[in-house]
Amino acid sequence: MVAPHSVAALQEIVAVASQAGLATVPWGGGTQMGLGNLPRAFDLALDLRKLNAIVQYEPDDLTVAVQAGCTLGGLSAKLGAHGQMLPVDCPTPDRTTIGGLVATGLSGPRRYGYGALRDLLIGISVVLPSGQLSRGGGMVVKNVSGYDMMRLHYAALGSLGVIVQLNFKVIPKPRSERTVVAAYRRLADAAEGALRIRFSQLVPTAIVLLDGRAARVVGLNLQGWVAALRCEGPPVAVQRQADRIGEVVRPAAERLDVLEGGASERLWAEISGAIAAAPLDRAIRVRIGQNPSELPQLAEEIDRACTGLAAERSRWLDIGSGLCYTALASEREADLRLAWERLARLGLHATLLSAPPAVKVDTDVFGREPAGLAVMRALKETFDPTGILNPGRFVGWL
Amino acid sequence: MDRQALRERLLRIVGPDGVIDDPDELLVYEYDASDEVFAGHHRPEVTVLPRTAEQVQEIVKLANGFGIPVTPRGAGTGLAGAALAVRGGILLVMTRMNRVLEINERDGYAIVEPGVINLELSQLTQPRGYFFAPDPASQRACTIGGNVANNSGGPHCLKYGVTSNHILGLEVVLPSGERIWTGGPAPESPGVDLTGVLVGSEGTLGIVTKVMVRLTRLPEAVNVLLAAFPDLESASQATSAIIAAGILPAALEMMDQLTIKAVEAAFHAGYPEDAGAVLLIELDGLAEIVAESAERVAELCRQCGATEVRVARTPRERELLWLGRKSAFGAMGRLSPNYYLVDTTVPRTKLPPTMRTVEELSREYRLRIANVFHAGDGNLHPLILFDRLVPGEIERVLRCTTDILQYCVDVGGTLSGEHGIGLEKRDYMTLIFTTDDLCAMAGLKRSFDPRELFNPDKVFPSGFSCGEVNALRQQALAQRLGIEFV
Repeated sequence: MVAPHSVAALQEIVAVASQAGLATVPWGGGTQMGLGNLPRAFDLALDLRKLNAIVQYEPDDLTVAVQAGCTLGGLSAKLGAHGQMLPVDCPTPDRTTIGGLVATGLSGPRRYGYGALRDLLIGISVVLPSGQLSRGGGMVVKNVSGYDMMRLHYAALGSLGVIVQLNFKVIPKPRSERTVVAAYRRLADAAEGALRIRFSQLVPTAIVLLDGRAARVVGLNLQGWVAALRCEGPPVAVQRQADRIGEVVRPAAERLDVLEGGASERLWAEISGAIAAAPLDRAIRVRIGQNPSELPQLAEEIDRACTGLAAERSRWLDIGSGLCYTALASEREADLRLAWERLARLGLHATLLSAPPAVKVDTDVFGREPAGLAVMRALKETFDPTGILNPGRFVGWL
Repeated sequence: MDRQALRERLLRIVGPDGVIDDPDELLVYEYDASDEVFAGHHRPEVTVLPRTAEQVQEIVKLANGFGIPVTPRGAGTGLAGAALAVRGGILLVMTRMNRVLEINERDGYAIVEPGVINLELSQLTQPRGYFFAPDPASQRACTIGGNVANNSGGPHCLKYGVTSNHILGLEVVLPSGERIWTGGPAPESPGVDLTGVLVGSEGTLGIVTKVMVRLTRLPEAVNVLLAAFPDLESASQATSAIIAAGILPAALEMMDQLTIKAVEAAFHAGYPEDAGAVLLIELDGLAEIVAESAERVAELCRQCGATEVRVARTPRERELLWLGRKSAFGAMGRLSPNYYLVDTTVPRTKLPPTMRTVEELSREYRLRIANVFHAGDGNLHPLILFDRLVPGEIERVLRCTTDILQYCVDVGGTLSGEHGIGLEKRDYMTLIFTTDDLCAMAGLKRSFDPRELFNPDKVFPSGFSCGEVNALRQQALAQRLGIEFV
């Protein structure tokens, strides 16, 4: 493992690794190293945590430039002092690095209200396998000069270059928050209320449905299905909005609670923690994309697909964004593998977020082959001609 | 190339009314909305107007076989010359592909063909409670496909983001002739974000044949304020104060005195003619938030020296205030026979010194400059007024433009906020990007389009080539490391 102190040193190391054909794995906080396919080779870990400077912060412009190895916690502390934030769900802010967040492209339920990090990314610097430093975008919030290199590297799992710096537009921190928590006997009732809110002019920042087991995982001792809707903003508006949401979702609910301030914040930390949990020994986690209105149906399809295969099963439906997270536990790895193979066919796309290595053998954890794989392959060949960056880990084993 | 053979094949694909190669009829396709003085005029060999994605695919395969360039074009309202067929070849005009294929209210998206007019999409979805957020000034004429190509902005992208934030997926014909769907209604589809890479690529990577756009729910409440200031400086300060206060207006637009006068003369929008600058501030969202923010904004404006703050209470009043802003470019005809529009972005806090510099350059080059722009996101649009018949004026306009761009870059800004690089600004690219930056972008281009068939000679500086640069770098590296390359 090498841990360069400067971008120049990193450039040199990468160029040498490239010449020597060393399989190189960019490494941040190490919280999502299990994401992706089993790597074909692994010679060199590139620890980026020493590249952790906040390069430029302009609170009045609401922009920040930060090196990839800076932790989310470190950045948030700095932004928080000016009443600002990078609105991203992450259960391990003190370990997770900004570069890791961008390279993995994982998002949480707040994506609905604030967009994913990709929507806030305004500039990027990347060290290419040749050692070249390539920059795109800039430090302004509106920019169409040149190609969108930010989008090229976002969620590309460090397969096209080593991200060294990221520029973001940041968001004023909301002054207060509340979460409406409603419990239902039936999924259909829970979904009906949640979808009506999504369809309305109300503007919650996250809408999630949890099945009974998922609810217990995040510390809600409720049966059936639970709807959680988060409101953030000025105190008066938050209160009024939570009231109005309550009116819509209450009628079919068995029970309705409103969590305020810290309690609300803690619930969402639990939810994003559960969604992005570290891999367990005998469990898999799968993310499936689907139209929000079709998520309830998907939840039932998941149920049918896993019948008899998993002792424990929990589902989180991110109604705001159109994603479903499923966690399955079983003593039998063969059952987990079979469950993944069935889940991989559901929805619009499916990703095996984490699994024991044996389950990942000979299956693309990114599910069905994406359209445009030929272009992705051409990009890989152009940007990483000797195939040293995370070989085999990305979609289609690129 | 066998022109006759090409013509016959094209006729077979799109039929006789879809192929234009008569020199007189081609004349209109030699131009787009960029100024001929700066972008020139370029005649395509043939203009083709397809009606279906299949036809586009056939045309691209044909062009691939003949090795001739293809330049896609929407309504031709682009200001950077990106829709000009610089190397001749096929000009692919997408305006006949103008159907709205699906509106999904429940999940908030629509699938449209690229030739659909921006404003028409919003008009169509408004009765259902939705709109398409990107609203460039040309929205009455420009197409969604053009918006995708240019990653278009508009006043409301301050709050809602640019086109890229509103495109969920694309059906696209690649230079290889392959036709694929990227993205989709559910986010985080695995693989490289091809949708994100294609948006804003100015037709150099792929030709879009269907667009899946995000529809945005109409806000519950809208409030428009007009604040008059003695000068640009105080208006700029108010802009910074509003943003720094944590308020995110839907739009925050500025107009200077010259613009106010032109707009009033042409449209009688009711702007205070004696003001040195006005801000047009739109707030939207939940009723409670809008009401609270409007008061705070009015207060901040007064603190920064506003002489008058007006609030439009009815939709009619709102429309009138916006009419002036949206018609500002058109009103410039009252002031001057020609104008040249510079599009650039600076960090918001750099607006006051930037406006001062623009004023100084206006004096230095003896050119009148009107300012009407998206102050909220630091995206300025100095309009340099000139008369092309006056000898020497064009040169002065060009020198003035270069100085403005250089200044903006020096304070941390960029070349273009929303109009694109195209032909017009490509030689400025080296002001903000190093050779290595540009080589990486060229690598992206090469991965999609190794033969440079799609919209050649755009975005990259003229004569730019990465081959030599890379060879030199390899040599240097080899020397340093004492190794040999094979």
